[in-house]
Amino acid sequence: MVRPVIFSGALLLLLSIPTSLGFKSQDFKTCAQAGFCRRGRALASRAQDNASWKSPYSVDSSSISVSSGEASFTAGVKSSLYPDVKFGLDVRIHDDGVVRVRMDEVDGLRKRYDEAASWALIAEPKLSREISWTVGKKDVRAVYGTKKENEVVVSLEPLRVSLLRNGKEQVVLNGRSLLHMEHYRTKESSRPEGTPEEGLDEDDAQVVVQVKPNAWFEGEVEDGYWEETFGGNTDTKPKGPESLSLDITFPNHGHVYGIPQHATHLDLPTTTGEDPTYSDPYRLWNSDVFEYLASSPVSLYGSIPVMHAHSAESTVAIFNAVASDTWIDVDHPTLKSTNTHWISESGILDVFIMPGPTPDDIFKQYAKLTGTSALPAHWALGHHQCRWNYISTDDVRSVQQRFDEHDMPVDVFWLDIEYAEEHKYFIWDKKMFPDPVDMMHDVEALGRKMVVIIDPHLKRTDNYPVYKEASDLGVLVKSKSGDAEYEGWCWSGSSAWIDFFNPGAWDWWRGLFKNTSQGDKWSWVDSTESTYIWNDMNEPSVFNGPEISMPRDNVHYGGWEHRDVHNINGMLLPNLTSQALVARSDPPKRPFVLTRSFYAGSQRFGAMWTGDNLGTWDHMAVGISMVLANGIAGMTFAGSDVGGFFGNPEPEMLVRWYQVGAFNPFFRAHAHIDTKRREPYLLDEPYRGMLRDILRLRYTMLPIWYTAFHDANIYGIPVLRPHYVVFPKDEAGFSLDDQYFIGDSGLLVKPVVHKDVTETDVYLAEDQVYYNYFSHYAYRGSSKGKHVTVPAALHEIPLLIRGGSIVTTRERPRRSSPLMQRDPFTLRVALDKVGYAKGQLYLDDGETFSHLEGNIVWRQFVAEKTAKKSKTIRITSSDLVSQNPDAAVEGVSLTKYDPLNAFAKSVESVRVEKMVVMGLGGKPKSVRVDGGEELVSEFTPGVAAEGKKEGAASVLIVKDPGVSIAKDWSIVIEV
Amino acid sequence: MRSSVCLGAMAPLFSLLVPLSALAAGVDKTHGVAPNLLSHYVPLKTASSPGTWKCLDGSKEILWSSVNDDYCDCPDGSDEPGTGACPNSTLYCINEGHIGSSIPASRVNDGLCEAECCDGSDELPGVCPNVCKEVGEAYRKVQEEQRKIRKKGSKIRSSYISFAQKEKKRLEGVIETSTQEIAVREKEVERLRDLVEQSESLSAAALEHRKASPLYETLIAHSNALKSLQREHKKHLEREKELGNILDALRTGYNPNYQDMAVLEAVRGWESLAGLPHINDVGKEEEESDEGAVVKAEEEEEEMDDDEWTAEELEKDLDNLLKTDYVSLLLEHDKHVNSPMTESILFELSSYLPDSLVPQYEAFRDTLVSWLQMLGVIRGGVAQENAGEDSKLRQKLNDAEHSLRQANDEKRKAEKDLNELFDREHYGAEGEWKKLEKTCLEKEVGDYTYEVCLFDEARQKPNKGGQTFSLGKFRSWNPDVQPDDPAYYTKQVYNAGAKCWNGPNRSVMLLLSCGTENTIHTVAEPEKCEYHFTGTSPALCLPLAETAEGKKDEL
Repeated sequence: MVRPVIFSGALLLLLSIPTSLGFKSQDFKTCAQAGFCRRGRALASRAQDNASWKSPYSVDSSSISVSSGEASFTAGVKSSLYPDVKFGLDVRIHDDGVVRVRMDEVDGLRKRYDEAASWALIAEPKLSREISWTVGKKDVRAVYGTKKENEVVVSLEPLRVSLLRNGKEQVVLNGRSLLHMEHYRTKESSRPEGTPEEGLDEDDAQVVVQVKPNAWFEGEVEDGYWEETFGGNTDTKPKGPESLSLDITFPNHGHVYGIPQHATHLDLPTTTGEDPTYSDPYRLWNSDVFEYLASSPVSLYGSIPVMHAHSAESTVAIFNAVASDTWIDVDHPTLKSTNTHWISESGILDVFIMPGPTPDDIFKQYAKLTGTSALPAHWALGHHQCRWNYISTDDVRSVQQRFDEHDMPVDVFWLDIEYAEEHKYFIWDKKMFPDPVDMMHDVEALGRKMVVIIDPHLKRTDNYPVYKEASDLGVLVKSKSGDAEYEGWCWSGSSAWIDFFNPGAWDWWRGLFKNTSQGDKWSWVDSTESTYIWNDMNEPSVFNGPEISMPRDNVHYGGWEHRDVHNINGMLLPNLTSQALVARSDPPKRPFVLTRSFYAGSQRFGAMWTGDNLGTWDHMAVGISMVLANGIAGMTFAGSDVGGFFGNPEPEMLVRWYQVGAFNPFFRAHAHIDTKRREPYLLDEPYRGMLRDILRLRYTMLPIWYTAFHDANIYGIPVLRPHYVVFPKDEAGFSLDDQYFIGDSGLLVKPVVHKDVTETDVYLAEDQVYYNYFSHYAYRGSSKGKHVTVPAALHEIPLLIRGGSIVTTRERPRRSSPLMQRDPFTLRVALDKVGYAKGQLYLDDGETFSHLEGNIVWRQFVAEKTAKKSKTIRITSSDLVSQNPDAAVEGVSLTKYDPLNAFAKSVESVRVEKMVVMGLGGKPKSVRVDGGEELVSEFTPGVAAEGKKEGAASVLIVKDPGVSIAKDWSIVIEV
Repeated sequence: MRSSVCLGAMAPLFSLLVPLSALAAGVDKTHGVAPNLLSHYVPLKTASSPGTWKCLDGSKEILWSSVNDDYCDCPDGSDEPGTGACPNSTLYCINEGHIGSSIPASRVNDGLCEAECCDGSDELPGVCPNVCKEVGEAYRKVQEEQRKIRKKGSKIRSSYISFAQKEKKRLEGVIETSTQEIAVREKEVERLRDLVEQSESLSAAALEHRKASPLYETLIAHSNALKSLQREHKKHLEREKELGNILDALRTGYNPNYQDMAVLEAVRGWESLAGLPHINDVGKEEEESDEGAVVKAEEEEEEMDDDEWTAEELEKDLDNLLKTDYVSLLLEHDKHVNSPMTESILFELSSYLPDSLVPQYEAFRDTLVSWLQMLGVIRGGVAQENAGEDSKLRQKLNDAEHSLRQANDEKRKAEKDLNELFDREHYGAEGEWKKLEKTCLEKEVGDYTYEVCLFDEARQKPNKGGQTFSLGKFRSWNPDVQPDDPAYYTKQVYNAGAKCWNGPNRSVMLLLSCGTENTIHTVAEPEKCEYHFTGTSPALCLPLAETAEGKKDEL
């Protein structure tokens, strides 16, 4: 019953991987060690072995109640196992076609946790007023979509929910009849020979007798119902069994992505079925995993229960709003279909089905539910330098000085936990940091910022004002009795944790970050308005707790157990911290908070990183697919620690890692306290020069990154776009996760993550010309897909620009990004096969919220032939805001937009200093601003975009066209 | 913030109406050109009307109007010395009233006023004020201060040099004396060796026969076994010490907050074995009692037989015992076996004894013998047998050889010291560092006092009790540069200190500069167990005349 084969298989797998030395598999449960997961898998296994298996759950047709005017209905659900236990079903269709299915136990002994979605959603979704349900004898149906292509069918007997598109099933809930919501019972009643307790009514006692007859479904024994011990910690499970098993099937989709965070491929490998890659299910249980493995289904720091299912025909997705420990089995019964099985420890069933049908639609649908990623401060896209630990204020100053001596750009210096006296966060260790505010002013004088760590564990000592105030307010997490403060161990020794589920903690926490005195209340006067925050250890990590976290029977606000809210718990700290940073200054500045733990919706509040990775090639590689997976699940402001947290990477590896980092949305170098210092200036030549070039390249491309973040902010489309997102119909690209596009810029990068590489293959999915960003070499793709070989010696990054793109850069090296505000732009025009190219540029002040009032510049650049037969090309700059007033900024419709807004005016004099046009058919006769004088230009003959030739492309460099970045203009290239 | 002020101030400078030509169109062609390159910044003398100019690397000929036009034409960046348009160019600030200096392109026209460009020439006119007068004055003041320190320091330094000179004389004296002594001793040894050889050659064959005695062979075997045991014992002692260091490091260095129970158990085990208080309690006990928290390890009284050696005896006397001349002993033994006289023990015991004990023993023996003679217990002045004569001769030879060795050692040491004294890789070309040999400098930081005894060892001493760790032994001066580099004596390396738990052996980089005192200013641990000390020493204060010239060149 325990399936020992799986257990030992998992162990063998762990042991056979060389990098597993640090990972302590004994610290974390396997499915077989978690009672409810064991039960869930056993259920699936019984179902597989039983040809006449049928779901015991059915809808009581007499109870169906359809709302008038809104696309929702409710109904009672019964289980043939427990006829007296009542369940309620609630199915709704939102105005964008997303289907929400909820099921809960009704009038049970206790209440299941039903608030997970409320923490993730931005607002209660609006229900469709057009779509209507048709109640039939066997099912309830609704048809919708512009061509009536979508249909939702809720079958009554047994309960089964499916979404169809053009008659083809896309998503099916309970299609494999694994749905099981364990109802609440009393401990005594669940024992066959148990006698009913006083006050327990007869009906409950009746249930007792029926345990055995249900063995075909629930198994012979009550496995781990009431108590569970792991690693010396006992979970008392006062509520008993309450798990939820749900199968979600994608009968016509052969690839699934998402459910971060796991160190694995973007295209999720299988965990069950024939010859599965992993023997354990993917797990979502936010965990601080020491030296995690580079390929594993083990749960990591954050959880987003969102899964995309993809095929050449369509993309669909589900968001399973559950916050408890959740295990997910993935299997492809055929190459074109996917079975998944979700086993959660507690909570209601609350699943959102997104109909797609394209990846971009999914992003919009998901963003409508949980919000888009916040538009970050511009500087946050620069290079971040961190270490555990810069040991003193002078150390920070000296690191800054060395960066400047070597003319390497950096925007942010970070302080890890050792700045804090006895790890009492906020409180400076004045021995080593005697003048923190002066230090920050020294850093800020160059336009830079500091990020300081604030962890959620509070040292339990009354001389620590943050702990004292939290304790006095009564907003700390309680231990299982529900009355005493929970005490656990973390960096600060004996510690307590703020219960951010308690609204009483919110205003207080927001107040702490004020850098002016707040009277009686403590506030962080030893900080500045440019001090930003890093929230780590918020899984929460508890050194002496079960699985290095809190006991599941700890009690949160509202009486909920920790087990119910664990996966949400981590995101509340960064969410509130981010609000605190907005609240501390007037006018408010955009916040920056980096978090290690996250959940659906975290993207609205800040950035994440992939935690404590290792300085190995494997981790470098998996970091990329992890960032891609986080991105498609909304958490797009993501990166992995450059260099690897643990270990001392050799120079070659470090160079490659900076190349990876420079093409991550979040770009931070970090290192463990036991490592040698490895700031880029410390390397010898030629490596140091390579690192300087990489850092500078990142800075030249900041306009591209910022524009991609703007896209993510308004549309919810991730900054890094995997192949299946850009080419959803190209089967060959569905499993690609080592090359990706940056926003819609047309830049395709494939960072090298192996040793001794001099060239690499890049996959081109279309019949189009792609230019090497650096050498302008023209490669040709094919409509069937084609691999081309791109030079990739250590100083080279395989970076291509797709024909048809125009990208905007700023090529003057600066010490930090705010010092680039007045620098001129360079436009790279990569003509496609028909002589066309397009690109966009978004700019604002990068720091405040004045963009919400329309203080922005959003331009479109188009290069096209003046006439079909003509070779003459006209490149124009036009205003995108006036074309999209309701989409230009997130959530605000700009009813009156002034192209000459304050920001636009401030950059009016910023010019395009250079234009590079790739792929022209021949030397131009003339290049001029429309109606202006001839411009100075230089033409290097080469391969034209049209045709089939590969080789060095023709390049036209136009010197200083003298046009403003913020204004309309056009430049005519007469060939 | 200075930066925002500058950025703000820049905005109105941009023209709103004219088509955007290069922002620096008005920039002078020679703006930012270093004085030694000024002569290159003139248009080429050609007939053509719009003048041209050649990039400094000769790679390209461009229009003269393209120089400093805020667009990078030359691959070497030489056409934009004053605008920052070329990433690889530099701008020279004249800084009249102060010292001229160059800044990289990344700092030109970035809105910030560079400290290196006090004349404000790094930004467009009007953005940065010219503050060279004040900056220059302040700079000169600092220079004057430093000059004063240097002057005072160099006086002290010259006293160090005279110390070295005296030391040199002393050492030369020692060498001379010991050379003479060696000559005398060598003769004596030669004489004795001849005598011994004569005497022993007579009985060589007999000796060989005796050596075949099982007793002798066993003795040799025992001796070898004992030597091996001693060697192994020493190894174990070293291992034990090393283990102790590792465990001490673990005890003080491990993160007690972390959940690793295996580590905690190891620490507690070690504490109980070594009789140390639990590390987490150290601070507490400090607070509670003034007596200090260190509980001395309870020395358990070991039970042992009376004639067994104590550990101290083992350490002191075993070496000497093993130096026994077994051949002499064999001869002694013969005599002993043949005529069972008391004498041999009393008279020849000296050959078993360590050299250091011989004089006392001999005095004691003489007294005892005279007493015994008086009491008639032994006979005095008995004729010695040949074997005894041999052995005595040999003893004399041994003594003479020993003295010769001592004299040689003394000479060698003096020669070595003399060599090091003016060795540039040791006490410096002028021996200026000799005075500071084993001078210990201390700095208290947090819970520890850090100490470096120059040319010897660096240590970390806890202020509240606990183990002192070696941070390393003197290894070398600055290994990154040659001894003739001025930076050579600004850095000392101490390494191979106590090993860190989960880390490297501790080491120290001592960074020194000229100062009037020998002192440590700062101690930092930028990487785990790798310490950086900064400090000053007068030994680094070169006389002003020498430096003044160097400085002028730099200016």
